[in-house]
Order: sequence, then structure tokens, then C-alpha cells
Amino acid sequence: MNKNKLITPEGTKDYLFEEALLKKNIENSLRSVFHYRGYNEVVTPCLEFLDVFTAGVGSQSVEQMYKLVDSKGRLMVLRPDSTMPIARLSATRLKNEQIPLRLYYNQSVFSVNPAMRGRSNESVQAGIELIGVSNKKSDIEVLVTATKALQNLNIDNFRIEIGHIEIFNSLVSALNISDSTKEEIRFFIESKNFPALNDLLDDFGDRQEAVVLKTLPRLFGGYEVFDKARKLINDKKTASVLSYLEDLYKSISELGLEDKITVDLGIVNRNDYYTGIVFKGYVEGYGEEVLSGGRYDGLIKDFGEDLGAIGFAVNIDSVVKALLNSKDHSVEPVTALVFSKGEYQIKALEYIDSLAEKNIVTEYSLCDTLDEAIAYAKSKNIGRIDVVDENIKTINL
Amino acid sequence: MRPVRIALTKGRLEKDTVKLFEKLGYDCEQLHNKGRKLILQIPDANIEVVLAKAADVITYIENGVCDIGVVGKDTIMEYGGSFFEVCDLGFGKCKFALAGKKGADFYAGHSEKTIATKYPNIARRFFNGKGMDIRIVKIEGSVELAPLLSLADAIVDIVETGSTLKENGLEVFEDIAPISARLIVNTASLKMNKEAVENIINQIESVK
Repeated sequence: MNKNKLITPEGTKDYLFEEALLKKNIENSLRSVFHYRGYNEVVTPCLEFLDVFTAGVGSQSVEQMYKLVDSKGRLMVLRPDSTMPIARLSATRLKNEQIPLRLYYNQSVFSVNPAMRGRSNESVQAGIELIGVSNKKSDIEVLVTATKALQNLNIDNFRIEIGHIEIFNSLVSALNISDSTKEEIRFFIESKNFPALNDLLDDFGDRQEAVVLKTLPRLFGGYEVFDKARKLINDKKTASVLSYLEDLYKSISELGLEDKITVDLGIVNRNDYYTGIVFKGYVEGYGEEVLSGGRYDGLIKDFGEDLGAIGFAVNIDSVVKALLNSKDHSVEPVTALVFSKGEYQIKALEYIDSLAEKNIVTEYSLCDTLDEAIAYAKSKNIGRIDVVDENIKTINL
Repeated sequence: MRPVRIALTKGRLEKDTVKLFEKLGYDCEQLHNKGRKLILQIPDANIEVVLAKAADVITYIENGVCDIGVVGKDTIMEYGGSFFEVCDLGFGKCKFALAGKKGADFYAGHSEKTIATKYPNIARRFFNGKGMDIRIVKIEGSVELAPLLSLADAIVDIVETGSTLKENGLEVFEDIAPISARLIVNTASLKMNKEAVENIINQIESVK
């Protein structure tokens, strides 16, 4: 017997009842945040050409994509993210639209993860992209939208953490080192690997840039980080990036969310992709970021149009996990069982309609006798039976 | 507030870490008399200690069910993962090395070499770096047997004193990487629970 017909592939799952409901509520909550800020939904195909995801700065690990071959022998993939297809879309079908483009999406992405590490191979992401403008106003808009997106989910404890990729880039470019050394430094900062970072940078003696780079992974936390960093940084370019970030931080604080905003100058992930601010969102009860985004002004150029862009994505499945543990999300129970006698079936179903309009959850009894219907209601903890014949009679159980 | 949860690699690293905790003045009574319990309390410091196998420490940290972990660099190199590696604890020192029969010239000839190891990823990466084609045989127990039985041309393994190698007529051909115990931290914990987690890291750094 083929046992595979009874199971789902590793890294995928069925969503049932509470979980499915919670997922839908989270999606609706994000949708409304995006919708009321003028973002319009786009849906891109699940299947795309591999080339979309290997174009230039946004190129992704081919090993981690699900690959298929089409009838002409071309390589196709299940989309591993939504930003690249949206970059493609913006540079082609939407290139004559009025900018900025405000787009949002809510769709599955796929990736092949190592087996048995507890990772999802299919996960739903919802996010926005603000395309065509690269200025402070657009940075602030997207940051505020990200904050509101998490706040609107009624999560008790969340954090938005901001950083700027140019702090690392300008420090490291002043050192005049090979790309592979740069990448090593970047990796050690990303993983906050102080011992290895110190060893590597000791070669540069007390060059100011090296000293700052050594401290970079420690420069995270609240507003005090800016004071600390200002004392360390003395080249003009890095200092101006720092004060830009400080301005953003202050703007977000004005939302009355100072305690929710933190800064990490050691965010250096995908430094060839991001070109400006980068940010992540964390929630209590989940061990990874649930939101991540940033500015990527170079990406759409790889598709033929020079458009700046900034965006973020929320990992819906992670939020579901965090919220499912922390709160009660039971599905609304059935209030009444409706039982029809004799030929009163249509009348009973019309009656159910009238209750549904009043937002009362009912179930139509498929039993043949009233006794069976009562037993059924008791076993499903339904507290009331409405019996429909000439009249409608309510029995409370 | 929920206690900070620390995952320790069972065995020698656990003992060295407990010594470190004692230097910090933590009450390690439960850690000494643990019986069969898997989750232990350090009551006065609001810390919970979990004992686990090395690779599981990484899994617990990555998934955020533990905040801080103590694990060997060997495990980190073999299994990878996304977490912060904030501190070299300085104990559990040894090294990865390429070893084989004494006097043999491993790099001689053009034929494909066979390597026996418990650490296939590390062996693969080491030889990829040399641009060498090799065949890897994964061994679960005493890797030293493989070259003696001519299953493999050499082994990639952890070498501490080298006495097991010596007694079996083997020698180190080449060092691959130094190893020591590391303090690793879940990425979200460090951000969401900064004060408590940083406090423990700083204490540990101050006495290591």
C-alpha cells in the first residue's frame, strides 16, 4: 500500500479549525492595515521561471528552491519569496503607472529546508512594497506601517528593531579589504561572534573603523545606542547615516511606542541586497523574527527599471504559532440545532437563514427523529434545539 | 518573569560550566544532585538549566525554547544554524584534525581518497577548500578503526591529546580547526529579553 497518500509532505501541514480561524483573522487584520493605507493587493503565480529569482542582487540559493521543468525544458520554481515577482511586475506591467506604487500581497512561499529541523517548507507571508520613491517620508511610512501591522494583531509584547546597512558598508569600505574578508566580517557581526570578529580585526590595529566594527554587534538596544555610537564614529559619512537613523527612531517614538522600538547597528544581513534601512519585528513567545524588511533600491534595476523600493513581509505561520500559545482562540460554538418535522424542511432552512442574519451560529439536524437530534445535541454540547413544524418551538437542553 | 533557560551539553562541558556557575556564586545544588531530572533550577538567579546532547542544544536555541546554550565549536561547525555566538568560554579545548597511518603520505597519487568521520560536513568543507574530490564514509563509533582496517585513507576527527591515535599507530597529518566551548544565544531572546540575557552573558564573561 502507498502510505504517502495518508500524510502531508514534511514541512507542510493542514490547518484545522482554531488554527485556520486564527490564521484568517491575522491575514484580515494585516489586510486592513495595508488596505486603509492605500496599498493594493497583487497575486503573483505560484510557478515562476527560475531566472526571476537568480537575477542580480536579489538572487537566492538555487538549492533551496523547489524546481520543476516545463514542457519546453525550462527550469521553473515554486516562488521562494514575493518581492522578486513584484519587482518583475513593477518593471514590466506596472512600469507606466503613476509612482509611487503601493502594493501588498498575502501568499505562500516555498523553500526546501533540511529535514527534521522543524522548519516549514510552505509558509504564508503577507507584506507591502512601496515602489518608486526613495526618501525619508517613504522610510517612515513603511516603518510605521510595520509597527501598526504588529500592534493591530493584539500581541501583548512586540518589538520593532531598526538598523541601517550603510553603517556597516561605509565602515568596511574604508578598510580597503577583499570581498571575502568583508564577507567574513559581515558574517561575524551578524552572528554576534565577538571572539572571531576581534581576532580578524586585530590585524587592523587601532584604525578607527576597525574599532567601531568590533563594537557594532554590541550596539543594540534603546535610544542610548545612538549616544554610544556617536562617541565612536568620527567619519562624516557614517555619522550622517547614524543621525538619519536617529531621526527615524525619534519619529516612530512619537507614535507613543518608545518601548517597542529598538535599534541594532549590527544588522548586516544581505548587505548586497539592502541599500538603506533594515528592520525586523519580534514577538514574545517566538524564537525568530516574525517580520523583516528594508530598503532595496538596486533590485528592480535588475529587471530593467531604475526604481527605488522599500517593503517588509510578515511570516503569518510564525504569528499563528506565537498567538496560539498565548491566547484562547476557540471557534465560535453552535448555539442552536434546528430540527425539521415532516415536510417542513424548506421552512427550517429559511429559519436558519434568519438566524444567520442575526449572527447566530446554527446547525441543521440531519437526524430522522427528535430523540436522535436531542442525543446528538447533547453529545456536541449544543444547548438548544429549535423544532420546526407549523410553529417553531425551542427546547432548552 | 519567566526564568532564563540555559541548555548545557551533557558531559564534560556540563561539568566545566557548573564550575563556572559556582565561581559566579550560583546555587548549583540541583546541578550536582540531578538524579534523572532533565530541567534543573538555579533558584537564586532565576535560571533554569536543561541538559541535552550537543546537537540538541543548537536545536533548542534555534527554536527559541532555550535562551542561552553552551556547546562545542565542533557541533556548531558541523550543524550550523542561526543564533548568536557571543563568547568563547575557553574550556573544552581540542582541535579538528586530519589523521591516518603513521608515515603514510596522504596527498600522494591521483586516486580519490576515502575519509572516515563522524563529521561529514566539516570533512566535505575542508576538502572542498582544497579542491579535492573525496569519498566520505560516516562512522558512528571509533573512527580510528577505519584506516587500520583499510576502509579509509584518513580520518577527520576531534583530537584532544593524540594518545588514542598514537596507541593505534596513527598520527595527525594536518590541523583543520581549533575547538572550544562557546556560549550561543537565541536571536529573538537577546532582543526581547535583553537585560536578563545580557546580564548573564556579562557575568559569565567576567569570570571565564
